[in-house]
Amino acid sequence: MDSLDFSDILASSVHDIKNSLGLILTNLDDLIANPDNRIANPSQANVLQHEVRRANGSLIQLLTLYKLGQQQLSVRISDNNVSEFFNELIAENLSVCRSLNLEVLAVCDPDLEGYFDTELIRSVLDSTIGNARRYARRQIQLNAECQAEYLVLRVEDDGPGFPDYLTTLRDYRPSALREKSDATHTQLGLYFAARIAQLHRHGEHSGRIQLHNAHQLSGGCFELWLP
Amino acid sequence: MTNPLFAPKSFLVVDDMGEMRSAIKAMLVALGSTQVEQARDGLDAIQKMKQKRFDVILCDYNLGPGKDGQQVLEEARLRHLIGVDVIFVMITAENARGMVMGAVEYAPDSYVSKPFTKELLEARLLKLFERKADLAAVNKALVAKDKPGALREINALIANKPRNLGELLKIKSEICIDTNLLDEAEATLKQVLAVREMPWAVFSLGKIAFLRKQFDQAETIFKQLIAQDPTFISAYDWLAKSQTAQRQFDAAENTLREAIRISPRNIPRQHTLADLALNNGHSDVAEHAYTQAVGLAKHSVLNHPAIFAGLAKSKSVNGKHDEALKVTRDIRKSFPDQPEATFYAASANALVKANQGDHEGAAAALALAEQALAGLNETAHASDYALELAKTYVELGQGDKAAPILQQAIANNHDDEAILAQIITLCQESDLKYDAETEIRTIQQALIKTNNEGVHLIKQGQFDAAIKLLSQAAEQMPGNKTINLNAAMAMLMYMEHRGINREDVQTVHHYVERIQRLAPDDWRLADLNKRLRKLLTGLKSDG
Repeated sequence: MDSLDFSDILASSVHDIKNSLGLILTNLDDLIANPDNRIANPSQANVLQHEVRRANGSLIQLLTLYKLGQQQLSVRISDNNVSEFFNELIAENLSVCRSLNLEVLAVCDPDLEGYFDTELIRSVLDSTIGNARRYARRQIQLNAECQAEYLVLRVEDDGPGFPDYLTTLRDYRPSALREKSDATHTQLGLYFAARIAQLHRHGEHSGRIQLHNAHQLSGGCFELWLP
Repeated sequence: MTNPLFAPKSFLVVDDMGEMRSAIKAMLVALGSTQVEQARDGLDAIQKMKQKRFDVILCDYNLGPGKDGQQVLEEARLRHLIGVDVIFVMITAENARGMVMGAVEYAPDSYVSKPFTKELLEARLLKLFERKADLAAVNKALVAKDKPGALREINALIANKPRNLGELLKIKSEICIDTNLLDEAEATLKQVLAVREMPWAVFSLGKIAFLRKQFDQAETIFKQLIAQDPTFISAYDWLAKSQTAQRQFDAAENTLREAIRISPRNIPRQHTLADLALNNGHSDVAEHAYTQAVGLAKHSVLNHPAIFAGLAKSKSVNGKHDEALKVTRDIRKSFPDQPEATFYAASANALVKANQGDHEGAAAALALAEQALAGLNETAHASDYALELAKTYVELGQGDKAAPILQQAIANNHDDEAILAQIITLCQESDLKYDAETEIRTIQQALIKTNNEGVHLIKQGQFDAAIKLLSQAAEQMPGNKTINLNAAMAMLMYMEHRGINREDVQTVHHYVERIQRLAPDDWRLADLNKRLRKLLTGLKSDG
């Protein structure tokens, strides 16, 4: 057999893993949703559900960052209705949030349009929602608006909020983060989000991310600014 | 919770993994679907679509060995198994993104990436149901090949200032390009680009430049798109077309080699590359591309004896004469009952035998090719066959026989730059005593004159003279679609004014059949058919 290209190995492994994750997820959703099933400790099933989604998100990040490094990633901007886009994100997260007793909703002008790569932005927001699920007490909110020629997409929760060193951060590279934090979190997700935002360009402007606390809800607020 | 919109719709789920098919089917059933069928691979999917019309097709991109999801979609569209009113959703793992998402000629309605939840599938399908319902009138006209009707419907939708304006403008620009309303298409695209630089709109501007024969401008546009996004695969195909039209054959070959490195599973792309490489003297590249094309074309609607003939020729040029002869025998086996196959097999055979030094065998094969071609339908002389035979004549040192064939090919394709470019190159590279460029100019001028005169006569109401002029031209150039269209239109208008007669109706039918073979997708054909039907039914109701 010829020597295999690493990207081929990666691609076919990801394909297999995603098939497995898909089946685990579907069966788990059915298992939890079926009232005939009795699970001694339902929160264990919810942890499984949450972690499967996170594993999937990490896999997408890994592959996307790999492609970015190989300069194989191209951004395909399309014209999207933001409200519809949010509805799909919520649909994707509904089952897991429901079993964690979290309410997830979108606040957005139904006519708001935005230009972005749906697949890339979906994976950024999906992993941000995944993160919010860990900290939210009762609510997660998605909202969007136009501000100074940018489209601002937000994911907010009512948890304890981001630590200070994150809300003042401007450089999201893992090396820069290590210096600031206690080195237990690499925050690869933030680096991923910042890179994807940067890839969105229009004229002189390029996208960025920003972390806040207490915007609409009391907890953390992740902002994606897209030109 | 079931949704009442799901029950009346029929679904086809295509996936090579049984568990995955069952999981998706279970989701659909939970959403309220009652008609869900499954297919395990591409062939099975095509088979199922032949038997029944589905409303929604959910197809995994990765289907194991054999066809992938994109090929299933292309095959289904080319075979007219699914129209624009059918929803096709491509299910992908993230790894397929690069391959799949490159703006392709045949794009699915939507992509869903794995894993996905039932709720996401519901949200996505409901959105698609709504889109198709919005576009129902447009799609109905498109399915009926009534392009002017589709344009009216889309304009009516746009006038309502809808939410999905961008999408509607895109559809409008496509319809305008198809109906040769290039100025209107350009204006529509500029409207989109005034808001935001969208690559698809720039791509369409490139196509318009190409259709206006502004090939250098088209080339610049496609190159710019590729520089911005090296995975924009259709831009490579059109760049190669623009380069071929300007007779930059080496550049066109390089463009397609690059495209194939990114996306190797497209039959026309492999075939075009192979033809270019063979003519450019890169027989190793040609043989490889023909081999790929033959493999991909198996069980495909795009399979054609010309691909096999090319493979045989390239093998022979590479000194593999025995393998080449075996390929020519395979042509007949792969295409039983097809007279074209006999022609291509004989023509390729003649070349291989000549390369082997078997001049008697070559002459016999050539005679067989001539005989097969004579037995083919008159429009078959149009271009590909004529060029094939002309090339064989040249290779066999019988260039004098090539000239009349080329003359006919020019007359039949006076406005097809790609074919004209091939003819000119053939003449330049062989020492054929035939000045193709001058001949082309002469023929083009004569044709334009005939057409203009015919149209002028029609306008003046001198139908008899117009019909005489145009039908004479149509007999001389049975493979020229424009002349046939105009001749049919002249007779039709004559009958609309003076009443119908059986003989003329038959002649119009004859022209329509020719155009049907030459350019089945030309919108003017649909218009012609519509007027003809109206004329005939009008007669019946009048008694």
